[in-house]
Amino acid sequence: MAEKKKRYGMVIDLRKCVGCNACTVSCKIENQVPNGVYRTWVKEIEKGTYPEVTRHRLPRLCNHCDNAPCQAACPVEATYRAEDGSILIDYDRCIGCKYCMAACPFDARFINPIRKTAEKCTFCYHRVEEGLLPACVSTCVGGARVFGDINDPQSLVSKLIGNNPVQVLKPEMNTKPMVFYIGADQDIMGARYNNLEKGEK
Amino acid sequence: MELDQVTYLANVEHPVQLGYMIAIYFFYTGLSAGSFVLSSLGTVFGIKKYMPIAKAGVLMAVALLAIAPLHLIADLEQPGRFYTLLFHVNPRSAISYGTFLLTLYPINSAIYLWLMMRKDFTVGAKSLTGFRQKLYQFLTFGKTDLSEGAMARDEKWIKRLGTIGVPLALLVHGYTGFILANIQARALWHTGLMPLIFLMSAMVSGTGLLILVLLITQRFISPERAITPERKALIQDIARLMMWFIVVDGTLMIIDFISLYFGSAAGHAAGELFLYGSHSTMFLGVEIGLGLLLPFVITLWSKTRKSLKWISFASVLTLIGVIAMRVNFVVGGQQIPLSADVLNPYYVEPKHLMFIALFVIAEVTILFVAFKFLPVYGLGKSSESRLKVKQEVLAK
Repeated sequence: MAEKKKRYGMVIDLRKCVGCNACTVSCKIENQVPNGVYRTWVKEIEKGTYPEVTRHRLPRLCNHCDNAPCQAACPVEATYRAEDGSILIDYDRCIGCKYCMAACPFDARFINPIRKTAEKCTFCYHRVEEGLLPACVSTCVGGARVFGDINDPQSLVSKLIGNNPVQVLKPEMNTKPMVFYIGADQDIMGARYNNLEKGEK
Repeated sequence: MELDQVTYLANVEHPVQLGYMIAIYFFYTGLSAGSFVLSSLGTVFGIKKYMPIAKAGVLMAVALLAIAPLHLIADLEQPGRFYTLLFHVNPRSAISYGTFLLTLYPINSAIYLWLMMRKDFTVGAKSLTGFRQKLYQFLTFGKTDLSEGAMARDEKWIKRLGTIGVPLALLVHGYTGFILANIQARALWHTGLMPLIFLMSAMVSGTGLLILVLLITQRFISPERAITPERKALIQDIARLMMWFIVVDGTLMIIDFISLYFGSAAGHAAGELFLYGSHSTMFLGVEIGLGLLLPFVITLWSKTRKSLKWISFASVLTLIGVIAMRVNFVVGGQQIPLSADVLNPYYVEPKHLMFIALFVIAEVTILFVAFKFLPVYGLGKSSESRLKVKQEVLAK
């Protein structure tokens, strides 16, 4: 059987996430992400009222979608797919039109205020190339973040996806995300619209 | 547990990215497409009574599209790289093929305009004196053949370029609607109606601006310096057209909002925001009330629809309404959160407001200079005969 192409993906096991934001910090340091913008961050909500109450966390990053709307939107093809499946940006080619940011259903992209181009998570391409794990994965204290080749049936990500009920963000957008969650609550996975103008009332 | 007992404790803010610059750019291309289509009624569709506005319409289309793309370039984070759009092509990106439409359409329109004015340039180069004579001499580009055969050939080419120009104008503006329509992430934008809504509001605002420009230039710049009864009748006629454009635009808007309101959670939230929320003043009040309803009443009611004052008031209102529409859809569409529980904020960059103001000044200057020096309303009678007419009027 011909060997399948590499397709990197991530599983985030929320049962193990403690919301420490070590991933947020290590990503900032590793990728020199400027102040005020984030390649990965941890969303946190509280659901219910005491004593029937729980806290839920959702580490967020680029989904490196199989059907990436940002890649389709880019007018100069600065957003491209690397040979390992991750979606990358050619910073010398990006014109900063921000159309990709409008097109991403996951708010994964931002403008780097220093470089003046679009930017987002790269699955730490520069580390993975050297045989290391992405910074957020290697730093995750609970081992919630697992990274690997989804096309390799022996990889831990493949096994976790195969053996657990998993969720992706906004499957109805048909972007086919490559970041899978175990134990995500529906109230944290998208936006909440019931009281959008709380700040303005 | 109560189902709405969810509190967001930590999240990252995602401000609106495509702001006023993009909205105003859509406004300009809409004006351009609208005035081009109106000008083609005479030349392409052969409706004789619209012939007198053909040149004015195309001139406006060219002048507006000369400035419109500057908004896009100024909005880039890397404006120096804008030219790479021309050789890095992504056929899946609306912006990519829009670049080529934005290049072809003004070139086509400019040649079309030149053909329509060639006769006046040639005559003017002989009969006029001073600066205009030199200018027209240059603008003939050496093509001074006014024989019947040459004029017939011109006619044929005018028809051809106009026939290419109409779909180009529709595409240029249709694509701007499509830029929004094919973004599945944004509920307010993601509808097949969006290009049609953009086109119809383009027709409304294009008619509005054309009426205003015709009134001002005919009164103060044209050789006759007057709004003759024929001109008045034509403007009343165009105002009638505007009423029908408003009817279609309003209908599309109603259809869009009904399907939006009964659609996805995000779509419903957008509908609530526009109909009952903080955006209702801008949407129902300015965009619909001032921009569509009031001009509709003015152009429908027998007591106001004949008056040039009322017609110009209605035209100003349509412009305000369509600007509001562009802002509502572009900015409002991105304010509906994708991952948060509050509206995404929009931080206006002062730099952008400055650019918009600069471009407005540039646009008005271009329009003034073009209408002043180009034979939009023909060459008129010679200055002597004009003097005579004046004396006659004074004598009376």
